[in-house]
Amino acid sequence: MIQFENVTKTYKGSTVALRNCSVDIDKGEFVFLVGPSGSGKTTFIRLLLREELPDSGRIWEAGREIGKLPKWRIPYLRRNIGCVFQDFRLLPTKSVFENVAFALEVIGRPKHVINTQVPQVLDLVGLSKKRDNLPGELSGGEQQRVAIARAFVNRPLILLADEPTGNLDPTTSLGIMRLLDRINRTGTTVVIATHDAGMVDQMRRRVIELDRGVLVRDQARGVYGLDGSVSAAGAGSPTGLPIETSTNNEPDGPMAAEA
Amino acid sequence: MAVSVGYVSREATSNLWRNRMMTVAAVLTVAVSLALVGSALLLKQGAAHATERWQQGVNVVVFVNAGASHSQFSSVGRQLHQLPYVKSCVARSQAWDYAEARSIEPAEVFQALTPAITPSSWRCALNQPSEAALIVQQFAGKPGVEHVASPSAQIRTMETVIHVLQWAFLAVAAVLLLSASVLILNTIRMAIFARRREVSVMKLVGATNWFIRLPFMAEGLVQGLLGSLVAVLVVLGLYFGFLDQTKTAANQSSLIVQMSLGATEVTVTCIVVLVVGVLAGVIGSALAVRRFLDV
Repeated sequence: MIQFENVTKTYKGSTVALRNCSVDIDKGEFVFLVGPSGSGKTTFIRLLLREELPDSGRIWEAGREIGKLPKWRIPYLRRNIGCVFQDFRLLPTKSVFENVAFALEVIGRPKHVINTQVPQVLDLVGLSKKRDNLPGELSGGEQQRVAIARAFVNRPLILLADEPTGNLDPTTSLGIMRLLDRINRTGTTVVIATHDAGMVDQMRRRVIELDRGVLVRDQARGVYGLDGSVSAAGAGSPTGLPIETSTNNEPDGPMAAEA
Repeated sequence: MAVSVGYVSREATSNLWRNRMMTVAAVLTVAVSLALVGSALLLKQGAAHATERWQQGVNVVVFVNAGASHSQFSSVGRQLHQLPYVKSCVARSQAWDYAEARSIEPAEVFQALTPAITPSSWRCALNQPSEAALIVQQFAGKPGVEHVASPSAQIRTMETVIHVLQWAFLAVAAVLLLSASVLILNTIRMAIFARRREVSVMKLVGATNWFIRLPFMAEGLVQGLLGSLVAVLVVLGLYFGFLDQTKTAANQSSLIVQMSLGATEVTVTCIVVLVVGVLAGVIGSALAVRRFLDV
């Protein structure tokens, strides 16, 4: 689904954002992209959104080499990619329903499609009852759910998330992660850039770690830190995750969910 | 590319309303500059008409001395007839010229005139009005010739004045049109800036560039169109105003009558004004939009 082949990206001022990075992500995978600030996570996401082009190397996405994509095809590429951000990026003057519907409207979907798909996806993220509220009337977690609904309403092949829980408290974060996990189980490939160590440790999914632009680790069922001592974090709560969150877990919650 | 007309017009209208003061400024500037363009065009066409009419009527008059003998008079006539650029030549007797002078000269000049001292004359129509000067050169000062009259000099002064006027109009109009385009560009830029969140979300979820662009370009188009409609009203007002003047004008050979234009010419001018206005709007907004959407 996503393939990086020796990708290097340098910004002006010779900051190397990614150095000779090669990664393969299959369809339906759930991947954490971890690393400190400035390690290249956001560049990774931006390259996938084709907001940037690599200096060298090649990137395939959904069977296409996106470096060779003509400019006018970029919007069509983005229709296959949903993306959520730390700051939600909702439109403050539109209601929850309108925010999600907007994503379909602007790609020319007819009204009847909008009127069936938007309620469905609002149901999925658990916001059916707040469909007429404005984003300002919602909590951070709810706003992020709206953003996820907007990203997912067009059923993209890939869902990207750049620090989706960066502005949220641990309990709310867990809810967001479970939602992303549920979306992943519909077959959507999910890539999450994060430094929420607790979340990564708890989810035990594939972890790709970047350090100053270099891929230093690619581990199935990994944890945030490299050494084993941190791997115990998922069980305890040194990361600040409240224990009681586990009681919210459904039988097929994130802990149990392994593809 | 499915961009619905309803969507584009809805977005454009709400943008126009949001920036209504800027919109009014842009529309007025377009209107003023295009009204100038339109009047310059009318003036140009009117001037062309007037000169054409004058030149058709250009006669060179060779006045022969009042005391000249009959043979002198006819020898001047023969020489005129031999010139290749003279179409025709008619002799006018002293009595005829006296009668004409009576009708055009002011009373105090006329009172000093008697048929006996009135010169007789040759009235020549030319193939090329511009060759009037040649006859003046050739015959002025010849024995028996009192004076050679040619209106070409006055026509040329008139033409120069109209020319200068018309270029001045066009130059001012061009500057105003440029500022109108920049104003439109600026309103569109403000509109895009006001909606930059929406635009970024649209790009994120895969709206095509044309989908994002069209409402803004429609906005520029509407501004240009409104401005040029006002300008068309001004042009039509001028036209009908002059038309009234020509109908009631006492002197039917006056400048206004000579310059009068046909309906087709005015229609064409109006269409030119509309097209230029729409282009100014579309180009201004296209430039504004281009900067923002290249990602």
